[in-house]
Amino acid sequence: MSARVPPPEHMTRAPSVGPLPHLEPTRPKRFVLSNGLEVTAERRAVAPLVAVNIMFRSGSDADRELAGLGSSTADMLDEGAGARGPLKMAEDLEQLGADLWLGCGRDGSQLSLQVPRKTFEEALALAADVLLRPRLDADDWARVKHDRLTALQQRRDQAEAVAGLVSDRVLYGDAHPYGRSSEGFERTVERIGIDDVRRYHATYYRPNNAALVVAGDFDEEKLPAQLEAAIGAWKPGDLPAPVPATPLPSGGNGRTMPRLVIVDRPKAPQSVVRIVAPGTDRLSPDRPALSMLNAILGGSFTSRLNFNLREQKGYTYGAGSSFSFLRRPGSFAARAAVFTEVTAAAVTEFLVELRAVRERPFTDEERTKARAMLLDRVAEGLATSGGIAANFAELALYGLPLDEPERFIAALERVTADDLLRLAQKYVDPDGSCITIVGDRAAIEPSLRAIGLPAPELRDADGERLPG
Amino acid sequence: MKIEFETFVLPNGLTVILHVDRGSPLVAVNLWYHVGSKDEAPGRTGFAHLFEHLMFMGSKHAPYPSFDAIMESWGGHNNGTTSNDRTNYYEIGPRNLLETFLWLEADRLATLAEVITEEELEKQRKVVLNERRQSYENRPYGRTELRIPEIMYPEAHPYHWPTIGSQADLEAASVDDVRSFFERFYRPSNASLCIAGDFDTAEARRLVDKYFGWQAAREAPRPPAPAPAVLDADRAETVGDRVQLTRLRLAWHSPALFAPGDADLDIAAHTLGGGKSSRLYKSLVFEKRIAQDVFAYQSSQRLGSLFHVGATAKPERDPAEVARAVDDELARLAGEGPTAAEVDRARNTHLADFYKSLDHLQTRADLLNHYQYLIGDPDGVDRDVARYEAATPASVRDAFAAVLAKHRLALTTVPDANAPAPEAQGEEAS
Repeated sequence: MSARVPPPEHMTRAPSVGPLPHLEPTRPKRFVLSNGLEVTAERRAVAPLVAVNIMFRSGSDADRELAGLGSSTADMLDEGAGARGPLKMAEDLEQLGADLWLGCGRDGSQLSLQVPRKTFEEALALAADVLLRPRLDADDWARVKHDRLTALQQRRDQAEAVAGLVSDRVLYGDAHPYGRSSEGFERTVERIGIDDVRRYHATYYRPNNAALVVAGDFDEEKLPAQLEAAIGAWKPGDLPAPVPATPLPSGGNGRTMPRLVIVDRPKAPQSVVRIVAPGTDRLSPDRPALSMLNAILGGSFTSRLNFNLREQKGYTYGAGSSFSFLRRPGSFAARAAVFTEVTAAAVTEFLVELRAVRERPFTDEERTKARAMLLDRVAEGLATSGGIAANFAELALYGLPLDEPERFIAALERVTADDLLRLAQKYVDPDGSCITIVGDRAAIEPSLRAIGLPAPELRDADGERLPG
Repeated sequence: MKIEFETFVLPNGLTVILHVDRGSPLVAVNLWYHVGSKDEAPGRTGFAHLFEHLMFMGSKHAPYPSFDAIMESWGGHNNGTTSNDRTNYYEIGPRNLLETFLWLEADRLATLAEVITEEELEKQRKVVLNERRQSYENRPYGRTELRIPEIMYPEAHPYHWPTIGSQADLEAASVDDVRSFFERFYRPSNASLCIAGDFDTAEARRLVDKYFGWQAAREAPRPPAPAPAVLDADRAETVGDRVQLTRLRLAWHSPALFAPGDADLDIAAHTLGGGKSSRLYKSLVFEKRIAQDVFAYQSSQRLGSLFHVGATAKPERDPAEVARAVDDELARLAGEGPTAAEVDRARNTHLADFYKSLDHLQTRADLLNHYQYLIGDPDGVDRDVARYEAATPASVRDAFAAVLAKHRLALTTVPDANAPAPEAQGEEAS
């Protein structure tokens, strides 16, 4: 057998790339049930499955002082409902091959159901029990509460989770609904009683606070009657006004270096670094341009942050950044887990990259790349039933129209290099940011001071301040 | 459910699978090389995975960092994964990128070792050592994961070491190792290529031939064929880690992927630890409230599998009590077997999860390559599903009782804020 042979001439250069394909709009049908619930439905039959998302416009932002209440409520809903106790509910869902999931985010709570076509109607009836007729039994809450308290205790060992919740707490402050962990803290979950859970459910799990999306291999003619039979009797309720947003603790205040917060993790082999600054909200006209900015800065493998910290320096397995666009202004966050011994050097490179986007305009190539990547993400997000259901549920949460994906793509075309520079100067503010590091304090503090960072604020794994 | 495809083999031995789905204007390329950590040389553990990283460090006509830069500049993205058995590489993006994907994959298959440098190796070595810390050393219970293969498989067995490898071996890897590994394993005859999505099959055949057809035919390397691993006595070990709660883990040798009993053990695992309707959940978490979580799974691999069971003790409970409760449930399942309803539930859940995964283009491409590697034919869906359809309470009981009758490993992870680094532990134990 021969060895490798020399490549033919056509191997020596990249093939030409034709024009980007046109993305056909996904235009689901819209109708309203007799109780006012808005339904969005998109049929596609790649796999014999149906995906349903029911989104409620209240999340942990409605927890108030009982941090973790919305998340605890979501957790309790499938612990027995209608005629079924907790174990029977789990058994029957499995018998149907149904995957039922409930969760609570910052701005919304959500039920997600994925089920084979042939058991869709039966699974829908169980999901309706879970939403309309949960048992919310005191003994079950005692058990689930204990599990949740233990899980919160375990969270202390999860450096990434700790970095996330501590940096949010520092950025937003304790009075802001986003400053509190969605899962809560041991001290707040301890105080949640079953009556609080029942009240959260009775108040917020209402059709006039919800939107339902169905995608996949369902029967279009039968669907309205199927939904009407399952949840038509669900009654609207009075909704309290949303918790007002307190203003974010102001940014730089003329500071020339960021704040530094350390959560000590003695002998940790890596430092988990997270740099946060105030961002903007979901309806902001800046969102398309900020998505492009982020794709270039830290939202892709070839982004500046990953290329510098991973590919050039070898400090990390991956570095990146993101904006969270929420009902109230969210955050900008840059992040990486780095070797303990290069922590200060990694922070320096983060600051170099964050400052660079404020000082020099992005190139045309970078903007072309960002547009192509975001177009692909939209296309991939709408390429599965689960993706369609989740995407349109998110649009419903923020009251956005069905053609939002095309509007977003069209808006990308209009973004100029000047827009990106202006927005970088507005939102990417390293000197006004807060750097949270979960790592070995003794090993990293001297070098962090040596690069000019201020004395660290010390916090525990729940974000409580500790004496310096 | 049927996944339509066509398949052909190039004269140089590259197997090609084409699966058309015009639902979205996307195309996915998925390339499996039949090499994994099982093929590593002594003293070079972790090399197959390190090599996977080097495949992104530039080839002769697409020098670093062109691979990712070209792809992402047009909206594509990509990655690779390494297991004991195989390494896969995949790209997905707008359909106009098909030719670019094929050119990039073909160029690195043809020329990677010609251009790899010491600097590039050194950079990716650091990235991989960070990956080891992020995924195992700085993650609760991560270091326990690293110990399991070392105990379950004898030193001569190719599953003895974890895919991530040891720090010392990763540090010893050289550019010469890269060249010889590449020469030996990265050959068209040792690979299969699947294209899935919105494309024309005639055009795809032309492009595959254009970019891969000229590459020389070379014999596929012979895979290792070790004697089946056995534990000759029960083993027990305690690992200290930065965790709040004590966790018990049990492991047994079990039938290889697709061997008789493999699917039955998936069902046994589900009956024991798959969600809130499972026996361990019901007994330990729901009723006795002595465990925070429970799990059971059959980890299926080509040269032999492991059956895993675990439970994390509540902080105020005695781990010995948890261990006894686990043993009671294991003995009961091996004795009585599952009920018909339990088998139904496990089967329905497994098949629904399977179909759910197939909604995604890249998963379908990966599955066709998986069947090609495993049974020499991409047409494996029906055969795979039939294994679960055929399971009965008796077959599940028998498969599980046979596993339980073997010697086992019992690993206990205990809270220890000052636990030594996993590397030192590994050396102590060997």
